[in-house]
Amino acid sequence: MPADVLAVTLAVGERISSLKTRAERVSGNQDPTRGRMAGQERRIDDTILIREAQSGNRAAFEELVRYYDQAVLRLALHLTGTEQDAQDVYQDAFLKAYKNIGSFRFECSFYTWIYRIVTNLCLDHLRKKNVRKEDAPVVKDASGGEYDLLDQVPDGRAGANPERDLMRRQLGSRISGALEKLTPRERMVFELKHYHGLKLRTVGEILHTTEETAKNTLFRATQKLRGALADMR
Amino acid sequence: MKCEWVRENITLHVYGELADDARHELEQHVARCADCAAELNAEQKFHAILSQDRAAEPTPNLLAASRMRLQEALETAEQGRFWHRLAFDPANWLRQVRFSPALASVILILGFAGGVGASYRVFDHPLASSPTTATPTSAPAEASITGIRSITQEPGTNKIDIKYDTVSTLETQGSMNDQRIQQLLLFAARNNYNSGVRMDSVDLLTQKPDVSQVRDALIYALRYDTNPGVRLKALDGLGGFVKDDVRVRDAVLEALVSDANPGVRTEALRLIEPVKADGSVRGVLMTLAAKDQSQYIKSQARTMLAQLPEID
Repeated sequence: MPADVLAVTLAVGERISSLKTRAERVSGNQDPTRGRMAGQERRIDDTILIREAQSGNRAAFEELVRYYDQAVLRLALHLTGTEQDAQDVYQDAFLKAYKNIGSFRFECSFYTWIYRIVTNLCLDHLRKKNVRKEDAPVVKDASGGEYDLLDQVPDGRAGANPERDLMRRQLGSRISGALEKLTPRERMVFELKHYHGLKLRTVGEILHTTEETAKNTLFRATQKLRGALADMR
Repeated sequence: MKCEWVRENITLHVYGELADDARHELEQHVARCADCAAELNAEQKFHAILSQDRAAEPTPNLLAASRMRLQEALETAEQGRFWHRLAFDPANWLRQVRFSPALASVILILGFAGGVGASYRVFDHPLASSPTTATPTSAPAEASITGIRSITQEPGTNKIDIKYDTVSTLETQGSMNDQRIQQLLLFAARNNYNSGVRMDSVDLLTQKPDVSQVRDALIYALRYDTNPGVRLKALDGLGGFVKDDVRVRDAVLEALVSDANPGVRTEALRLIEPVKADGSVRGVLMTLAAKDQSQYIKSQARTMLAQLPEID
């Protein structure tokens, strides 16, 4: 299928340069921390790929996937805790995206859209896990703290420093335990902000809520965590 | 009570989420208040501990395995019914064409009408029973079929006659000064089902808002486009003409009053500022200041009115 069949084709260079001069003109209004120009070029590529994918070009969709899938997998891995679950979430998310890309209307960025799909799947996973929790085997670790066997994040890499690895694992498991005390939404906001560095405005867009609500949720989440980990200094 | 505000915002501060002015206020307060300084310290320490726990990067093996598994699944996955996005529904439309009962099979043709990014799929089922070779008219390789006018079979023969319409996809290049390019952009801004294309065309049109048809198209987009991104772009292009062109002013006022998207309304409010002394604008501002749902719009309207001299 001719990949470049477009009724009005402007030289891509011309397009990018016209967007660049616009960016310079309105630079006063833009948020300088967002890397606006680079962001806009990324946006152009996405738009072309998305349109191609919408007309059935699977290669274009796979190209889109490659831009985002590492971040998606990282999120899924950390939230679900196991490689198997992470892979399942990854698979479900991108299949869902593939099936629904026809209804993507460019009202948000593809980034936001794919993150929405992934976070919804992760929220479902978290809710199911909450239900299973009652029967989960609980073990006490060396420092006397409890942790849930199901929450052990398997760290595949052999550590050069086994003692530091042990401490990190203990810290990780205590934090995992504390994260269990959050509601799925609180957990998700905290996860996206703390572990993935997203701005709360983006978090709000992803979770279909306002930045203000995301801020309040983050506040509640950290308060709860401080309470749960009060003895950690 | 300042301390209360600070306590509520310390977390946001530690995560770098406070606006610059709020951050400044918080820092100023903490410099003078020992309790809040201690609280900030504790929060920062806690944040430091939490930050030692990182989300592990997926191993290259895991990423590769996930990608392969996805690729396999994509091979058999079907995309959702993409033809609901077409200007016409081929299924409904084929029902209207009479099929002679002698036809042994169905020719099903899917096509996209005109527009950008045209692609097509032609499923061609050769007539199963007929031994005679129909004169092969070349399959429309570059053209998209938009309609089949008639299918008739000559009685007593195996000859089938089909009349169909096609649209071919063409390409043109040029600059913003070319008439042809402008015409196509104007067409795209109004007619394309794909909001990405409409956005692109409106974006380019904003470079030439002094051409009156372009301005019309931008006003049209601002009033009627369903995509808020497109409407915002149109506003961008029209902003400079609020003072000189009363139609633009009216369109921007309309957007301010009745647009569904708060971003569009806020931008419209900002753009109307230079003409806030105008009678009709003042009237709108007064209504907004009194009754608007959005706190921000209400307070901004009030601020603008306050800057105007009183009418006797």
